[in-house]
Amino acid sequence: MATVWSAAHRVELRRAIRHLRDRGLYAAAKWAAEQLVGLPEETSRNAGPPPAPYSDSEKTKLKRPSRRKDSTTQVGPGYAGSGNLREEDEEEDDDVLLLAKAFFDMREYRRAAHALRGSTGKKAFFLRCYATYLAGEKRKEEEIIELAGPLGRSDAVNPELVGLEQELFALYSKGALDAFGSYMYGVVLHERERKADACTVLCASVNAYPWNWSAWLELQALCTDPDILPTLNLNDHWMRDFFLASVDLDLQRNSDGLARYRALYALFPRSDHILAQTATAHYNLRDFDEAEGLFEELLRSDPYRIEGMDIYSNILYVKECFAALSHLAHKSVLTDKYRPETCCIIGNYYSLKAQHEKAVLYFKRALRLNRKYLSAWTLMGHEYVEMKNTPAAIDAYRRAVDINPRDYRAWYGLGQTYEILAMPYYALYYYRRATQLRPHDARMWCAMGQCYETEQLNMHDAAIRCYRRALSNSDREGIALHKLAKLHENLGQADQAAFYYRKNLERMEADQNEGQDFVDALLFLGNYCKNKGSLEEAEKFCDRLLDYGDPAKEDAKALLREIRSVQQHTANLPSMDLEQYTP
Amino acid sequence: MREGEVEKLRAVVRDCLGKHLYSSAIFFADKLATLAGNATQDLYMQAQALYLGKQYRRALHLLRRHHLVSADLRFRYLAAKCLEEVKEWDECLAMLGDGEVDEEGNVQMTDDQDTEFLDRDVEEREINIGAAICLLRGRAFEALENRARALRWFKAALKADPYCYEAFEHLVDNHMLTSDEEASLLYSLKFDPEDHWLSLLYSCRAKKYGQLAAIESKFVELEREPDESQLEDDSVGCSLKDNNDVVACRADLLYHHGEFQRCYDTTKALLEKDPYHLTCMPLHIGAALELGRKNELFLRAHNLVQEYPNKAIAWFAVGCYYYCIRQFDHARRYFCKATTLEGSFAPAWLGFGNAYAAQDESDQAMAAYRTAARLFAGCHLPALCIGMEYLRTNNLNLAEQFLMQAKSICSTDPVVYNELGVMAFRNKDYEAAARWLRKALSLAPPPLTEAWEPTVVNLAHTLRKLKSYVEAISMYEKALALYPKGASTYAALGFTHHLQGSTGKAIDFYHKALGLKSDDTFTAEMLTTALTEECTRLSSAPDSQFFSLGVGLP
Repeated sequence: MATVWSAAHRVELRRAIRHLRDRGLYAAAKWAAEQLVGLPEETSRNAGPPPAPYSDSEKTKLKRPSRRKDSTTQVGPGYAGSGNLREEDEEEDDDVLLLAKAFFDMREYRRAAHALRGSTGKKAFFLRCYATYLAGEKRKEEEIIELAGPLGRSDAVNPELVGLEQELFALYSKGALDAFGSYMYGVVLHERERKADACTVLCASVNAYPWNWSAWLELQALCTDPDILPTLNLNDHWMRDFFLASVDLDLQRNSDGLARYRALYALFPRSDHILAQTATAHYNLRDFDEAEGLFEELLRSDPYRIEGMDIYSNILYVKECFAALSHLAHKSVLTDKYRPETCCIIGNYYSLKAQHEKAVLYFKRALRLNRKYLSAWTLMGHEYVEMKNTPAAIDAYRRAVDINPRDYRAWYGLGQTYEILAMPYYALYYYRRATQLRPHDARMWCAMGQCYETEQLNMHDAAIRCYRRALSNSDREGIALHKLAKLHENLGQADQAAFYYRKNLERMEADQNEGQDFVDALLFLGNYCKNKGSLEEAEKFCDRLLDYGDPAKEDAKALLREIRSVQQHTANLPSMDLEQYTP
Repeated sequence: MREGEVEKLRAVVRDCLGKHLYSSAIFFADKLATLAGNATQDLYMQAQALYLGKQYRRALHLLRRHHLVSADLRFRYLAAKCLEEVKEWDECLAMLGDGEVDEEGNVQMTDDQDTEFLDRDVEEREINIGAAICLLRGRAFEALENRARALRWFKAALKADPYCYEAFEHLVDNHMLTSDEEASLLYSLKFDPEDHWLSLLYSCRAKKYGQLAAIESKFVELEREPDESQLEDDSVGCSLKDNNDVVACRADLLYHHGEFQRCYDTTKALLEKDPYHLTCMPLHIGAALELGRKNELFLRAHNLVQEYPNKAIAWFAVGCYYYCIRQFDHARRYFCKATTLEGSFAPAWLGFGNAYAAQDESDQAMAAYRTAARLFAGCHLPALCIGMEYLRTNNLNLAEQFLMQAKSICSTDPVVYNELGVMAFRNKDYEAAARWLRKALSLAPPPLTEAWEPTVVNLAHTLRKLKSYVEAISMYEKALALYPKGASTYAALGFTHHLQGSTGKAIDFYHKALGLKSDDTFTAEMLTTALTEECTRLSSAPDSQFFSLGVGLP
C-alpha cells in the first residue's frame, strides 16, 4: 500500500516541480524536490513512472500524451481544477513566453512583464503578474535602502500592488483565475492587509493545486490566530498534512505538530524537511538534547544545509556549547556567507562571547538580507536589552511581532523591556500576549506576577494567581514558590506562606541550592513554628540557620533565645494561650 | 490685354495662394487688378492675398479706397478680420455694423444683405458667412472683456451654422456655459439629418456632468460601424471609432469620473498617435499629476516648452511638474506664466490657486480661484476650490455657500459631496454629514480606489460620532483595504473599539497605529488608558478570562 502511495506521490511531485519551475516559483519547486527525494527508494522500476534520468529526455520527446495519460490515472481521485492546467503545460510554450522566462530567470522582471503584455495564456498571465510583482518588490527594496531610517523602517510600498489588485480582482470576480492566479491574488491581498479575503483566495488556490508550497506558506502566515484554522475550507491531501503540521509548530502546539510529522515520516522517510521541523518542535518544547541530536543528524546527511541552522545555533547558545557554535559559524560562513541564517549564527556566537555590539552588527546584516527574518529581529532585541538600549530593543521586538504575532519570545522581550522602563501596564500586556501563546510556560506567568507586584499596580491577589499558575506548570527556577510565600507573608496569611516556604525548602534541598531564599524560608519557618507553638521544629530551623552568614545568624540566635525563654515559660505556665503571640 | 491672359493670371494668383506663395500672389493680384480694370472680384482676391501675406493695413486700405467695404458682406467681413488682426476691436465692431442679439443668441435680422447669402444655392457645404461674422463679433467682445455679449454672439454663431466649430470650441473649452445651458443650446441647433454624427460629437464634447450611461450610449453610437444596425435612424453608427477627437473626448469623461489610470492610458496612446493633440494634453498632464508620474511630466513639459513656448499649456505642464514634486514656489511661477499667456486657460488658474493653497497662502489662492470662477462660470471647480479653502480656514458659512454653488453647477461630482460632508461634520451635524458622504461614495466610480479612502474614513468618523460603532468599524476596515498604511485610520479604529468597550482589540489597533506613526500623542495616551483599563478589568476577572484561555488572539 505504502509503495503504491509513494509511487503516486512521486508522479505528482515530479509533475509539480515542472509546473512550479515553469512559473518561476523556485522556492516551491525546491521544496517539492526535497520531498520527492524524501520518498522511500523505488523498489521496482515498473511500479512507477521512469526514474529521473529519463524524465529529462522525455521533455524533448513529442509523443508524450499517451504516457501522461497513464500517469494521471495513478494520481487517483482529485483535482479537476488542474485539468486545464495540465493541458496548457502539455503544449510547447510559445516563443514570447520562452523569451519572457529567460528574462525572468535573469531577474529582468520588468522586461519579462513587458514581453508578455500581449500574451493570453494562463501561464503567461501568471508569469506576467508575478514578474510585475517582483519588479515592484525589487523597487521597494531599493527605495528602503535609499530612504530608510535608522532601523530600516520605511513606509515604502510595492508600487505595483494597486494595479495588480485591480487586474486580479476583475478576473477573480469572473471566476477566471487558475490556481496560480489565485496564489498571486492571495499574495497581493495579504500585502494590502486584506487578510480575510487573502485566506479565502489562497484556500481556493491550494484546493485547486495543492503542490505549491509557497501558497501554503502564505496561508500559514495568515493563520495568526488558532481560531482561523478551523474556518479554512481545505480539501484532504497529503500536502495539507504538511501544512497543518507546520502551522501547529508556528502556533506553539508542538506535540500536535510532532504527531503529524511522525505520520508524514512514514510516507517520506528520507525527507530532510520533516527532520528539521521535528528538531524545531523539540527545540520549542525546550527539549534541547533531542533537538541537538536531530540537527546533527540533519547536518550529516546534508552538510551544506543552511535553512534551520539558526535554530541549531540557538540550541548551542542555550547549552553554552562554545566550540560547537564556533564550528557551526565557521562552516556556515564557508558555505554561504551572505545568508541571513549564517549572519544569525555568527550573531549568536558573538552574543555567547558577550560581544554584544558585534552580535548586533551581524543581526543587522541578517536583516539587510531579509527584512522579514523574524528570529534576527528578536535576537537583536535581546542584544539591545543586554546593551541597555531600551528604545532600540522595543523597536526590534515590535518589528518581530509585526512580522509574526506568534513569536512569544518577542512579546516576552517587549514585556521585559517595558518592565525595565517601569511601565508595568505595558509590560503586563506583552507578558499576557506571551502567555496566550505559551500558556504552559511558567516563565511568562512569573513575569506577569512580578508586574502585578510592582508598586504602581500593587495587585497582590492577581500576582498570587499568576504564581500559582506558574507553579502548576512546573516552575523550574522556583521563583514562583518563593514569591508566593513572600506575598502571603506580606499579606499576613501565615499559614499559606508557611506552606509555600516549606515546599520551596524541599525543592531547594533537592537541588542543593542554598541561597538567600533558603535563609528567608528558614527564618520565616522558624518564626512561624515558634508562634504556632511547635517549638522543637522551630529550633530545628534555627539550628540550620546558624550555618549561614551574619545577619541571618544573629536573627537565628535571637530567635533561639526567645524559644528558650518561651520553653521555660511554658514549663511554668502550661495553660498559656499561644494565639496572642501570632504577629 | 486679352481675356484669356487675364484668366490665366487669375489662375496663377489662385495657385500662388494655394501654394502659400503670398508675395507672388500679392504681386500678380495687383497686376491682375490693374489689367482687369479693378473688377470687384479681382480686388477681393488682392485683398485676400494681402491678408494672407499679413499685410493687414494694406488690405484694409485697398478695400476702403475702392469703397468696397459697404458693397458686400464678404468685403466687410474681410475688413473686420484685418481689424481683428491689428487688434482694433472697436473699429472691428463698427465695421461689422450694429447687430442685436438676445440672451439666447438669436439675431435680430436687420441686415437684408444677409438674405443674399442665405438664399444662395451652394453646391458645396460652406460655412455661413453670417456665422463667421457672429463669431468675429464674439471674439471682439471677448477681447473688450464684455463677456456677456461675447457669449451671446458665440451662441448666435453656432445657431447660424452648427458647422461653426470654433464658436462651439470657444463656448465649451472656456467653460462659458453651465451644463444645462449647453444642453439647451445644443438642443436648439438645427442639424441636418445627415449631420447626426456632429450633434452626437458636440453633445459628447459638452460638459461631463450628466448621467454616465447616457454619455456612454452616445459614445457607443459614435464608434459603431454603420452597417451593424440599419434598423432605426437614430441609432446608426458613425464609425468614428479611432478618431482622435472621440478618443480625447472619452479620456475627458474618464478624467471627470476620477478614473485617472484609464484616462492616462487612453491619452498616452492617443499622444503616441498624435503628439501635438492639444485638447488632449491638459487631460494627459492632469492625469499624470494625479498618478504622480513625475518623470512623464518632466519630459512632456520639456518637449512642450520647446515646441510651443507661447502656449499656456506648455508652461502649465511645467507648473504641474513642480507641483508634482512639491516645489510649490516654482509651480506657482509657471502657472502664473501660463495664465498671463492665455487668460482663458482654466487649468492654469486652478493650478495657480492650488499651489498657493498648498503653501497655506489662503488669500492669494482665493484670488486665483475667484478669477477662475469669474472666467469659467460653467465650471464647478473654482467654486469647489473656494469652498474647500473656506473650509480649511474654518469659515463654515461661506464654505457652505460656495459648496452649494458648486453642487448646483455640477450635481454629480463626488468630491463636492465629500466636502459638504466634511462641512456638516464640522458643524456637528452628523446626520447630514453621513448623508452627504454616502452620496459621495455612491457617485464615486466603482470599484473604489485609494483616492476615495479619505471619504470612507470621513464617513467612518461620522458614523462613530453617531454612535453606530459596528458600521463605523466596517467602514474603517474598508478604508484600510483601500490604503493599508493609514496610521490615523488604525488609531480611529482602535478608538472605536475602545468606545465599544473591547479594550483588547483597541490596544492591538493602537499598537498598529503607533507602529506606523510613533509620535502620535493622542494614540499613545489612549493606549496607556486602554492598557490600564485592561489591566484592572482582567485582574478581577474570573479564572478563565484571567488566564485568557477563552480569549483568542486579536
